[in-house]
Amino acid sequence: MRFIARFAQELPDHFEIIDVFDTKIEKTPIDKDNPEIETVAHIYPAAVWFERKIHDDFGIKILHTFDNRPLIHHERFPNIHPMRKDFTQKSIEQVPFHPYHYEVIEGDGIFQVGVGPVHAGIIEPGHFHFSQEGEAILHLEVRHFYKYRGIEKIVEKKHPNEVWNIIERISGNESIAYQLAYLELLIQASNQKHNENIQKYGAILLELERIAHHLVDLGFIPNDAGFGAALAYSSMLAEDTRRALKTLTNHRFGFGAIRGKAKKIDQNILESFLNDLESKIDFFENWIIEIPSLWDRLDTTGKLSPKKALKYSTVGVVARASGVRIDRRENSFYKKHGFSIQTQQSGDVAARFKVRLQEVKNSIQIIRNLLDFQEDSISLNAFEDGEYFSFIESSLGEVMLYLKIKDQKIDRFFARDPSFINWQALHLMMPGNIIADFPLTNKSCDLSYAGSDL
Amino acid sequence: MIDFWLQRFQKGIQTQNSWADEELAKIKKRLKSEIGKKFSGSLAIRMVDSGSCNACEAECNALSNPYYDLERLGIRFVASPRHADILLVSGVVTFNMLPHLLDAYEQLPSPKWVITLGDCTQGTVFKDSFAIKGPVNKHLPVAYHIPGCPPAPDEIIKGLLGFLQTL
Repeated sequence: MRFIARFAQELPDHFEIIDVFDTKIEKTPIDKDNPEIETVAHIYPAAVWFERKIHDDFGIKILHTFDNRPLIHHERFPNIHPMRKDFTQKSIEQVPFHPYHYEVIEGDGIFQVGVGPVHAGIIEPGHFHFSQEGEAILHLEVRHFYKYRGIEKIVEKKHPNEVWNIIERISGNESIAYQLAYLELLIQASNQKHNENIQKYGAILLELERIAHHLVDLGFIPNDAGFGAALAYSSMLAEDTRRALKTLTNHRFGFGAIRGKAKKIDQNILESFLNDLESKIDFFENWIIEIPSLWDRLDTTGKLSPKKALKYSTVGVVARASGVRIDRRENSFYKKHGFSIQTQQSGDVAARFKVRLQEVKNSIQIIRNLLDFQEDSISLNAFEDGEYFSFIESSLGEVMLYLKIKDQKIDRFFARDPSFINWQALHLMMPGNIIADFPLTNKSCDLSYAGSDL
Repeated sequence: MIDFWLQRFQKGIQTQNSWADEELAKIKKRLKSEIGKKFSGSLAIRMVDSGSCNACEAECNALSNPYYDLERLGIRFVASPRHADILLVSGVVTFNMLPHLLDAYEQLPSPKWVITLGDCTQGTVFKDSFAIKGPVNKHLPVAYHIPGCPPAPDEIIKGLLGFLQTL
C-alpha cells in the first residue's frame, strides 16, 4: 500500500485526520480539547513532514514521533495555528529568534556546511544543511517553507471559481497539471461527465508542459557536470516549446488556459513544431550518448535504490528511475493515445536523465495522437457540497488535490505536490557522494520549492 | 559525436543567431551601449526569489538561452549579492523570506538598485494572507518595476533597458 498524504481539517465538533493511500482513504476523528494522534512515520517515513505540518497548522500533537520540530514555523514565526477556523488574522509579526536544531552528525574532523536559502544561481529559496567529512557527504537535511504563502488559508471561504488565479500559480512549472487537477475536482463537484474534447485539449497542454520542463533539466543536468553545450542546445528547444505553448494558450506557462474549455488550436503549427522537436531531440540523444566523460559523472551518482524509493513513497521521475512503476497516466485514455511508462533500474542521475529523455519522446507521440478534437466547453457553476479528490501526473510526478465544499464555498483545500514527498527522499541519495555532486543530484530530481512550500 | 562535428563543418561556425528577431536585436544593441556607458560594460545582477511560483525564475533562466543570450551584452547573474550592482526581486515577500531578503540587500555594495520582477512583487494576485509581507516597496527602495506574470524574456530585456535609461 502506497502512502500518498496525511492531513487534517477542522469540523464543528472535532478535528479529522485524513490518510490517503493508493487503495483507500482513512479518516480518524480526534478530540478538540485534547488533540493528539499516533504517528505513522515508523511505517511510512514520508509521513514525517505531513505530521510536522499538521502540528504547525492545527496544533495537533503527534504521539511517539521521532521528529517533532516545527516545519513551517521558522525561527521568528509566532506560535499560531493558522489552519484553525478561529484564526482570521490578516497579518502576523516577528517574535524573538528561536533557533532551529538541524539534525547533524558530529565528531572529530566533521564539519557543517549550510547552503541557502538564497542560492548561487537563479533558483528558488530553500536551505540544505550538510554534515561533511572532507569532501564526502555524511548527511543532508533539507529544510524548506521559506516560500510559505499560506495558500490553503487564502482560498478558504471563497467560491471555487474565484481561486483559479491562485491555483494557476501554486507552482509555475506544474501550472497546467494543477489546473487540470482542479478542473477534475470541479467536474466531480458539479456532477458532470468527462468531456473528451476538453480531456484531449488538457492532455496536449500537459504534455507540452512536461516537454518544456524535461528539456530544461536535460540541459541543466549535463551543465552541472561541466558540459555547458548541452544546456545551450536543450534550452533552445525548451524556448521553442514555451513559444508553442504561447501560440496555443496566449501564455508561455499556460496560465488561464484551462477553465472548463477546449480551444481550437492550429494543428499545422503544432505538427511542424513536433516534427522539428523530434528530429532535434534525436540529434541531441545521439550526440550526448557518445560523451564518455559526461556519463562518467552521471553514472552511479546520487543513487536511490528501488527498495528505498518504495519505502519513502517517492513518485514521478525519481520513482520511475529507480524501477518503481508509478504514473497516473497509466490508464485507458492515455494508453489509447500512445502512452508507455518509462522506467530505469539504476536509480542514479544517469537513470533520471534517461527517463526524462524517453518521456519527451513519448510525449511527442501522445500529442500527435490527441490532435483530433473540437472546440468545446462545460459550465462550472453549481457545486454540490462534499469532499473531492483528484490525481494528475505532472512533469514532477503525481499531484494530489483535496477539496471540501460547504455552502458553495471552499471549506478546506489541500494540495500535495510530488516534491513534498520527493524532497524527503533526497537525503537518501547523498551517502557515498561528494559535495560537488549535490547540485547534479538535486537537479536530476528537479523538485519544486513553491509547490512544496505552498 | 562524429555526426555533430560533421554537421558543424557543413554549416560553418555561426556566431549570429539567424532566427533572432530584428526588433529584439535593436533593443539588445541599445542595452549593450547603455551598459557600456553607465556600468563600464559589465552589469551584475543578483536575483532573489522572495516567494514566487517559480515562473519568474524560469524566465530569467531563459535569458541565457541562445535566443536571448544576455551574457553577450555584459549582463551577468552573479552568485553573491556582494558582487552585484542590482538586486532583482521576484515573488510576494513571504513572512519566512523577509529577513533573508533584507539581508541580501544589506550585502550589496553601494551604489545599488532594486528592481522588482513580476506582478507578485506589487501584491496583486496573492493578498490577504497572514504569511505574506509584500509588496516589496514596503521594505526596500525600489528603483524600477518590470511588469508581467511572469514577464517574458524579451519583456525583461526591455525592462532592463527602461531601467538603464532612467539613470
